[in-house]
Amino acid sequence: MNKLTFILLLIAFGLTGSLFAQAKFEKESRIKPGQVPDKARLFIDSLKIQSKVKWYKEESLTATSFEAKFSLNQARYSIEFDAGGNIEDVEIETDLNELQPELKESVYLQLNTDCKKFSIVKVQRQYTGSESDLLSGLTMNILNPSITINYELIIKCSPEKQAGLFEYLFDDKGKLISVSEIVFKNSSHLEY
Amino acid sequence: MNTKALLFIILVVLMQGKSAVFAQATYRFGIMPSLNLNSALKNNWSLNAKAESRQLFKSGTVNGDAVNEYRYVLTDLSLIAAKKVGLNSRIAGGYLMRIEDGEISHRFIQHFIIVQKFAAFRLAHRFMSDQTFSESEKPEIRVRYRISSELPLNGESVDPGEFYVKVSNEYINSFQAKDYDLEIRLVPLLGYDITDNFKIETGPDYRLNSFISSSPRHSYWMTLNIFIEI
Repeated sequence: MNKLTFILLLIAFGLTGSLFAQAKFEKESRIKPGQVPDKARLFIDSLKIQSKVKWYKEESLTATSFEAKFSLNQARYSIEFDAGGNIEDVEIETDLNELQPELKESVYLQLNTDCKKFSIVKVQRQYTGSESDLLSGLTMNILNPSITINYELIIKCSPEKQAGLFEYLFDDKGKLISVSEIVFKNSSHLEY
Repeated sequence: MNTKALLFIILVVLMQGKSAVFAQATYRFGIMPSLNLNSALKNNWSLNAKAESRQLFKSGTVNGDAVNEYRYVLTDLSLIAAKKVGLNSRIAGGYLMRIEDGEISHRFIQHFIIVQKFAAFRLAHRFMSDQTFSESEKPEIRVRYRISSELPLNGESVDPGEFYVKVSNEYINSFQAKDYDLEIRLVPLLGYDITDNFKIETGPDYRLNSFISSSPRHSYWMTLNIFIEI
């Protein structure tokens, strides 16, 4: 191996010593149904979904959760469970036009305040509640009033000069609950 | 759908290679290690420094004689400054110095990149031009397009400690004096994300050129790419 190449590799490995200390641990991995807590798997099985269900495990420094993703009635569903298999929420991708006019108006008012320009990339309806209530909602289309409905929107927003991607969470009245910026993963290996 | 499109592109490239083989073709095998250091700066600027070498082990004529002899071919050192101009896009410009056979050639690079994020993979489109000057050769201008895809092998995105596949296909139009050549590259790599700031990739880099008006040349380089964000 050429001396120059060898020296550069030595420098590279020397630099990476500090990189391991800086790394933030967040990981999402595809898993088999057998690796999912029984409670979560049984919940999904009871829905009798015809399409393929993909299971994912999400790990951070503080928590582990499991997510089932599938299509049902031409909509994309995502059901999240905690480490014990207890259901956390149900998210269903929806169209902006399916939102109530008053809700849409509140959403646009907030976005017009925050952004010079914006475009709505994705809209999800988020349901949280007890397991039995969520199961009734999914299987019999019965929406118990105790179920909380929020709306999660992915927005491309240009506050000033530079556009960013943000996740907005609104309640069912259009009141803003939270905003967080979506950070893109490093792509220099795709660019150079 | 996009996986099918990529497979179609690979098939098109392989068919071109196959038809080129029937002319008097030449080939060469070697390694091409590279080190990329990328650094984010203020105001959406970033800097990329790259060092790459090529080392040849074997060359010859298809169905003819082969020369098994090690030769250090060249070293490329480049520095590129890039500016984010959109949510997923960047323009960049820079300089590359090539040291080959004791001679230095100078290349000026400009490119525009768009990275698309899909549900289970990412796609990058790079539009690039470069101009190369040296004492022994006439100036060369190249206009290039490359499509690269990053396919996680676990989950919907590449996380630390996970493998991924990166497939790139590039078309390079070369104009030198009155000569024109088209080079096609196909690079399927296996990558490992050690951390978000440190990736290693390896795999073959196949290049086909000189097939339009003369004997096609096939180059097979085994790559080892290291990407570090500092």
